[in-house]
Amino acid sequence: MSNSMALTLDPPGTFVYTAEMALKGHRLTAFGLSLRQAQNREAFLADEAGYMRRHGLSDADIAHVLARDWTALIAAGGHLQSMLKVAATVGQNLWHIGAHNAGMTVEELMAICPRRISAVPGEES
Amino acid sequence: MARIVGGFGISHTPSMGLEFDKGMAGAWAPQWQPWFEGTRPVKDWLERVAPDRLMIVYNDHLNHFDFSACPTLAIGVSERYPQADEGWGPRPYPDLLGDTAMSLHMTERLVRGGFDLTVCQDLSVDHGIYSWLPYLFDAPWQVPVCPVAVNMVRHPIPTNQRLWDLGRAIGAAIRAMPGDERVVVVGTGGMSHQISGARFGIANEGLDRWFLRHLGNDPQMLIDTPQEEFMRFGGTEASELAIWFAMRGALSKNVLEAYSYYTFPAVTGCGVVVYEEKT
Repeated sequence: MSNSMALTLDPPGTFVYTAEMALKGHRLTAFGLSLRQAQNREAFLADEAGYMRRHGLSDADIAHVLARDWTALIAAGGHLQSMLKVAATVGQNLWHIGAHNAGMTVEELMAICPRRISAVPGEES
Repeated sequence: MARIVGGFGISHTPSMGLEFDKGMAGAWAPQWQPWFEGTRPVKDWLERVAPDRLMIVYNDHLNHFDFSACPTLAIGVSERYPQADEGWGPRPYPDLLGDTAMSLHMTERLVRGGFDLTVCQDLSVDHGIYSWLPYLFDAPWQVPVCPVAVNMVRHPIPTNQRLWDLGRAIGAAIRAMPGDERVVVVGTGGMSHQISGARFGIANEGLDRWFLRHLGNDPQMLIDTPQEEFMRFGGTEASELAIWFAMRGALSKNVLEAYSYYTFPAVTGCGVVVYEEKT
């Protein structure tokens, strides 16, 4: 597993949460944030697809949530902090999202973290 | 008049709070133990300088705010700040205490001084404050807080210079408070980390130590470093370091560095630096 990383802010290495991302993912992010309330977590777990349809999610977003496709959800504008609440509700955590994004298993990702970089601004080699 | 006795910058992460709770229940994680031991001198320092108010600049992680309305800068004006449910239920701590008179004074001064704060009479607070506060102060809390929340979840985020200027204005406003309170100013934001994308988990200890080394005596050099550079070298969430400028800016030019500590427990650089005002 390679651990050398380009020092850029481009996808898929990095998704900067821009205003465009926020607009694109507005409903998806709002859905995730609705899970800050315990009764909504229960309602979602009782009927995931129905709950998401009631929140106006697209068929594609619903399919990505059902598949726990965290990378597609982040790319679709779901804010990480919001998708983290979806993960927590379904018994996953930040490592599951990170591993999916990095294209490896949770165990593989944990084994290579922290992924050390040593450079400071102005001293790039 | 009120007096600023010092300030500190500190990182925050959800896990540092959850690991503290587990530790208190008897199960300290070996990778987290150095951090809890390393922050112990901060608690001792706080007991010595004995603040009776905390001015805290932090960022919310979509736990109180959402994108229906996401303020760039917001201030709490309330007698209590409950803990936000971050999706896994609240931790067993009481609400933070507020001081509406202080918050109103700060709002008045800052808005008249050109900082158009969103005023929040209901504000729940997430790990931005709750992850570190329970081991620097003992529950039930005795010291009221005045929280200022900074948008770090959606770009554009406020610039380094803007947060430094906010800190200058916060410092002047505290010094103009009519009472005789002893105030500690806190700036809290994550150090190097990135928690999404294929670069998940990058760590730049050198960047974090460079920041801690220069914040006291050469903050302008750090302020002049573009935020994109912090993100490129330290991960997207290293942008939260900008919040530390609001703390440093509130203090005098020449301060004593009372303590500094750094470690890297998991996926986030964890650091603290304490400055004390000369008397």
